[in-house]
Amino acid sequence: MASPTTAQTATPIPMEAWNGYMARFVDESGRVVDSANGGISHSEGQGYGMLLAYLAGDRSNFERIWSFTRTELLIRDDGLAAWRWDPNSTPRVTDVNAASDGDLLIAYALARAGSAWNQQAYIDSAKKIARAVGQKLIVKDGSRLLLLPGISGFSASERKDGPILNLSYWIFETFPVMTRLAPEYDWAGVANTGLELLSIAQLGPARLPPDWISAPAGKPVTVAEGFPPVFGYNSLRISLYLLRAGIENTALQEPFRRNWLIDNGGTPAIVDIPTGRALTQLTDPGYRMLGAVLACALNATPIPADLRRFEPTLYYPSTLYLLGWALIAERYPKCL
Amino acid sequence: MSLKRAILLLMLGGAVVPAIGQQIELPGSGRKTDAGNTARAKVDETALRYFASQGDTRRLEAEIARLRALYPDWSPPDDLFGPQTDVELQRMWKLYAEGKYSDVRSAIATRQSADPSWQPPADLLARLNESESRRRLINASDAEQWNTVLRLATETPGLLTCPNIDILWRVAEAFTKTDQPPRAIDAYTYILNNCNDAAERLATVQKAMPLLSDEQIQSLLKLERKDAAGNPEFAALRDDLIRRRMGHAAENPEYTVPADDIKRMEELARKGTTPGDPLLLGWYLFRHDEATRALEWFKLALDRKGGAKSAEGYVLALNFLGRSLEAEPIAFEWRDAAPENNKAYLDVVIALLTADPPPVLDEIVLTRFSPVVMRDKYVPGAQGLGWYAYNTGQIVTAQSWFETALNWDPNDEPSAYGLSLTFWRLGDVARLNAMVQSWGQRSERIVALVDPVVRARLEARNAQTQTLGGLRLDPLVAAANRLTPPPTRQPPPVGVPTLGPQSARGYVRGAQYAPVPTAGQVAQFQPIPQPGNAAAPLAYQGAPYQSGIQFPALPAAPAQSVAQASYAAQPSYPAADYVPPTPRRRPVSRSVARTGSTEVGATAASGGAGAVARGWRLLDLDRPMEAVRAFDEGLARGTGRVAEDAAYGKSLAYLRLGMTNRAQAAALEAPQNPRRSVQLSGDLLAQRALAAYKDERYVEAIIALDERSRIAPEQQDLMVLRAWSYYKIRDLRSAERIFRALAAQGNAEGHNGISAIDAVTKKYRT
Repeated sequence: MASPTTAQTATPIPMEAWNGYMARFVDESGRVVDSANGGISHSEGQGYGMLLAYLAGDRSNFERIWSFTRTELLIRDDGLAAWRWDPNSTPRVTDVNAASDGDLLIAYALARAGSAWNQQAYIDSAKKIARAVGQKLIVKDGSRLLLLPGISGFSASERKDGPILNLSYWIFETFPVMTRLAPEYDWAGVANTGLELLSIAQLGPARLPPDWISAPAGKPVTVAEGFPPVFGYNSLRISLYLLRAGIENTALQEPFRRNWLIDNGGTPAIVDIPTGRALTQLTDPGYRMLGAVLACALNATPIPADLRRFEPTLYYPSTLYLLGWALIAERYPKCL
Repeated sequence: MSLKRAILLLMLGGAVVPAIGQQIELPGSGRKTDAGNTARAKVDETALRYFASQGDTRRLEAEIARLRALYPDWSPPDDLFGPQTDVELQRMWKLYAEGKYSDVRSAIATRQSADPSWQPPADLLARLNESESRRRLINASDAEQWNTVLRLATETPGLLTCPNIDILWRVAEAFTKTDQPPRAIDAYTYILNNCNDAAERLATVQKAMPLLSDEQIQSLLKLERKDAAGNPEFAALRDDLIRRRMGHAAENPEYTVPADDIKRMEELARKGTTPGDPLLLGWYLFRHDEATRALEWFKLALDRKGGAKSAEGYVLALNFLGRSLEAEPIAFEWRDAAPENNKAYLDVVIALLTADPPPVLDEIVLTRFSPVVMRDKYVPGAQGLGWYAYNTGQIVTAQSWFETALNWDPNDEPSAYGLSLTFWRLGDVARLNAMVQSWGQRSERIVALVDPVVRARLEARNAQTQTLGGLRLDPLVAAANRLTPPPTRQPPPVGVPTLGPQSARGYVRGAQYAPVPTAGQVAQFQPIPQPGNAAAPLAYQGAPYQSGIQFPALPAAPAQSVAQASYAAQPSYPAADYVPPTPRRRPVSRSVARTGSTEVGATAASGGAGAVARGWRLLDLDRPMEAVRAFDEGLARGTGRVAEDAAYGKSLAYLRLGMTNRAQAAALEAPQNPRRSVQLSGDLLAQRALAAYKDERYVEAIIALDERSRIAPEQQDLMVLRAWSYYKIRDLRSAERIFRALAAQGNAEGHNGISAIDAVTKKYRT
């Protein structure tokens, strides 16, 4: 197969920052530990870990994290990863359902590392996962090509307000790579659905996308029943995902810009969809980095001095920080 | 034992177990294992050297065995214990030996990054791959991802050896879970043929037991060996196998187990302290028609805290043995434990409600059953309550329950039939006809309530089909069937009431714990009115009885003739002669005591009670009209027991006056307890039969007698009435049968009847 991505030249994540991340969140078995969630692990975290290891040029630890991911999570009959792993349970896999963002991240990291480091085995594994995602998680619903959040529990046939979707599972930068890995599936169509839904799901006074939406074919998009009606920890990464994918769409970024940069002085918040009120200010540097990246991309605003040094805090904001940093280093070096 | 000696032993005599990987091939995949794993040009001895350098005898032995299996011509090198040179590789083997596979992967990548020309030893990669696959396979098996298990086993055949017996078990299980039991048997057979650890061999059969059939297990048992003492190695499993056979036969009653199995199980059940064996015995015996024996074992299981299944079995066995009254409290206690227990509870109560004759049920049975029925909208429950109310003369209550059942399931014919019967009993002709209108196409027996022709046809058919003795019917179906036009009755033998002595005893016994319905309790036994319900029961109280004017014309009486004139004389019991027995009354003071505790209530009640007492005295003096007024006063001023007494007295007074319909209306003015309702209903029906006969509505007379005979024995006078009714509708065969029975008992009317029939038949023949 032709190289799915261009070979890696420089490493956008500095080794020092990556080492700090490794020391804090990755144990020696290669398990990425969600420190804010009782030390569990999940397919998303493993995928982030692999992607960050690649972006840091760390082949050794990429192997380490991949070994754990493959052995512990990549056990489903359909070739997808089980999403939840708990060190305090036996068996460790406490929910064998899949989560599509985890699978996309793992396949994407494998494909990029495989082509950069010339590892055909990675690319073979990436292809298998990409095909499984295409076969099991991409569904046609009315005129839309959807990315289901998981194998069970979300589709229109399983819930009367289904399909239930999570727009932050659309990791736009992965779709061109998926197209090369599994060209038999219409990844561009999936990407288009994501953009369409993002333009529709600007709900409530703040016009921000809720974490979980109900999107029945031919009906309005609403907040999914049984989920908190918030723009929360899921959706806040959408802005970064769009920028990382190089999608220049100011209309989609506008609600983020207004809420983060105008209303809240650069600090993202958990926002209650019905009222538009900020419920919790997210002051962790990792979250503030999201605002800084957006300001850089839109207005060439330099990254504030206090965000230029990486201090690991919790797994999730630290991950977002490094992904944001990598984007700045690769595409907006003028902001540094 | 020295290390060298161990190696020597292994090389000389150690059995080398071939991997069964080649036997395990996913069906249809045609995929072969990676040849690169086995066809290496040069034997990789790095692991061997590492283990030797560590003095790790166990791993060293295993490695030698493994390499010999792969390369039969290979023998261990002479310099096995020589110095090691590659320190980094040593470290990798060390990490591998410690099970730190991610660290090994990481170390290999680190070294390759620094030295792109360096390749890890193929053996290290193969071992690493195998070990990771082993973990992954276990994870997949724990997560029940059986295809992944089989795929990994196929890709990593080196795992399928006796030292990895756990993997072999998991693979066998994966085969059974993917509907490939023959492949599973292959795996178990491989183990029993090749693996020698006694405990693991035993465990292998234990693992197989829940996954394979009895026959399949038997085929594995053929591979049994003798232990060191010469005993069969699986002897300890014999009891488990009996349990298994019995369990299977308990679930599939077409199978039985040998008597020896039962004997052995009884021994074990008695000896043990856990509920498992008694429970198993209970179910086996119960499902094989030995409910009495089963009951004992269920009881033991329950005593040993056997939980919901024990309670369910115990309840079902009691119910089966006709001991539903005993079963009910236990069934109620356990009803929420599991859906089966709820079902058992419902079955028990329905059995009680539909028993023939109806038992007198403690109020609590009804009051705790009704809410369950209402909550679950349980149609059979509502129907059962309807039949119970109907059979104990609580016609209005019956009507509400049947209506409720029909609301929940508008197509439930038995409930529609029950409702129609209540309309018939209440004389609500309009609504009865409406039922006939809407159900005529679907229910012959509903039509039979108004159409004598249909009724006669149904009777004839039932006479042929109701001989299916011994067949266990759904109790609800049976309850409804008992009320469909029955076969023409055989007259009972001399001195035996129609319903048999059992029923009489039932009522006497019942009287001792007859329920004491208060207004509230009775209300609980009635369904909560549904929005869709038609008029409330009270609406029927004032409805005048329409004397069946809309009923189809009755068969015309034969033309007057000499012969007929001689027997046209009415049976000699005009209404005035028929005086219903006056039941022994409760002392009024006792009734008052039961009505309430508050002073206000007591005062109000005593006013009512005084009026009721006066009513009874007037009735004793045979002044029924005045008694009616006194009871009316009691009804107006009393509540609860007083009102019940008053209504009862009032209807008896009307009966005394021959005013059947008013008597019936009066009986409905206050809820009656079941025993009293039965008496009252019996009297009312006798009166109604007589009235119908006098009006020449003979079919109605027979229906009324049928109704009455189900709740009370039919005395000779009523049998005479019945016989003449049959005679009048030209059912001479039925009439003659009864007349002959009466004549045999010395009843003069019997002889009259026979003569009349003789005359008619002679006339028809000429």
